[in-house]
Amino acid sequence: MVELRKLTIDYPGGSSPGWSGRLGRPERRVPAVADVSAVFASGAISAIVGPSGCGKSSLVGAMAGLLAPSSGEALIDGEPVRGVRQRTAVIFQDYGLLPWLTVEGNAELPLAVRGAGRAERRRRVRPILRELGLSSFGGFYPSRLSGGMKQRVAIARALASEPDLLLMDEPFSSLDALTREAAQESLLEVRRSRPMTIVVVTHSIEEAAYLAEAVFVMGGRNPGSVEARFDIPENSAGSRFAPGACDFRSAPRYLELCGAIRSALRGSGPTDDSAAAGPATGTAEALG
Amino acid sequence: MKAGPGKSVLAARKAASLAIAVAAIAALWSAAAAALGKPFLPGPSATFAAFGRLAADGSLGRHAAASAGRVLWALAASFFPAAALGLAAGRSRRVDAVVAPVVYVLHPLPKVAFLPIIMLVFGLGEASKIILVALIVFSQILVAARDAARRIPRPLVDSVRSLGASRLGLALRVVVPSALPDLLTSLRVSLGTAVAVLFLAETFATETGLGYLIVDAWARVAYAEMYAGIVALSLLGLGFFVAVDLAERLLCPWRDLEG
Repeated sequence: MVELRKLTIDYPGGSSPGWSGRLGRPERRVPAVADVSAVFASGAISAIVGPSGCGKSSLVGAMAGLLAPSSGEALIDGEPVRGVRQRTAVIFQDYGLLPWLTVEGNAELPLAVRGAGRAERRRRVRPILRELGLSSFGGFYPSRLSGGMKQRVAIARALASEPDLLLMDEPFSSLDALTREAAQESLLEVRRSRPMTIVVVTHSIEEAAYLAEAVFVMGGRNPGSVEARFDIPENSAGSRFAPGACDFRSAPRYLELCGAIRSALRGSGPTDDSAAAGPATGTAEALG
Repeated sequence: MKAGPGKSVLAARKAASLAIAVAAIAALWSAAAAALGKPFLPGPSATFAAFGRLAADGSLGRHAAASAGRVLWALAASFFPAAALGLAAGRSRRVDAVVAPVVYVLHPLPKVAFLPIIMLVFGLGEASKIILVALIVFSQILVAARDAARRIPRPLVDSVRSLGASRLGLALRVVVPSALPDLLTSLRVSLGTAVAVLFLAETFATETGLGYLIVDAWARVAYAEMYAGIVALSLLGLGFFVAVDLAERLLCPWRDLEG
């Protein structure tokens, strides 16, 4: 379980959240997120959705241990996050693949950083590449891969560290619509065979509603905060992977959820308060 | 992944265009020599005859080796410290606070003008020549390394940090490979400058080196030999250039594939 407890993050003025940037003046600090509390259930996919600049990525940075909160804390399984944690994997928007490493080299990177030998790296990474359909591209450099393939390499790299928590920061946003859907399916496939907790940050309402069991809607800007929460039991592993489950995207309930999240994102609508209490189910019944 | 002409075809085309360029220069040169008809501009045939003579008696090789040796020593002494310092300055504000002022003072200075001072301090021997060349290479590599380290995309750094890499791990896995192409480019540029400066340094207090060969031939009014020396110095520069190209191909194989 991942918990954010009254998390506040600010960063040096004049630059975006400074995870590793050392430029910018320390004296003036701009708040990124303020007082965010949220619980991401173990083994579930949760989504954080919000407009650009609302501080979504800062939350990922804090959970990944890349960014120290100014107050409050992020807890993983009850332990406060202090620095990078071995079993947390992060996938960034542009995948963060190193251009000078081949597909195999990139996928092996988490193990290489931990000092694993070549043979062990191969042994652990090869099955993952096979699972993601990348076996025959092991020797390719990222510049020769399509966006969808780069995305799969990023997933392979994340899986190589055998994570129990996978954080994804806008993982599919640079893919075209069809590739994006394929990438979402491949993420679900990966989740199906591994009991890990996944937190996806996205600005896509449809993506959040399709992937997540719990959608956290963020709003505001400098600082941003969590404005609403939607629970979508249809997306739980139990329902989704049940035999005979149909494509949630074609269900009326899905469209209606998208609408509710959209209203929440637009802010101070009448949906806002009720949304926080989990109204989607109620309205679904009313409409259905 | 466009299907273009094969590697061998490309290499043949490259060789052909190089041959055409050389032939064009030689033709212009002969024409100019014939038109001018002055002893100080011998044609290519006289120059290459002298080149062959000097090569045969071993003096060309000796001078070229002396020059190449100086450049290589200068390079060995300056490249790695400059690259390390520049990369550190580009990644750390604390290091940059010390390095930046030095860069701003040192880089714009015409270091050749310091030749007399260097000679006064380090004597007339090899050390002065090597130090002058090293100083020039150092400042160019330092600036290039600092800029390259600053340009490293943050997502790359963050993604490797998120794997738990230490500072040293980050330096070796991200900073160095990311800056390497830029470092090699600046090396190529600064080697050109180095050869030019070497010529000047070799006109003083030495009896070896291609610079000496050229100035000595000039003094003896042996113009064909002087030109042979100039050709040899150019070839030395070309050799360094090609060597860096080869190094880049070996060290940065991923670059071949980028647009």
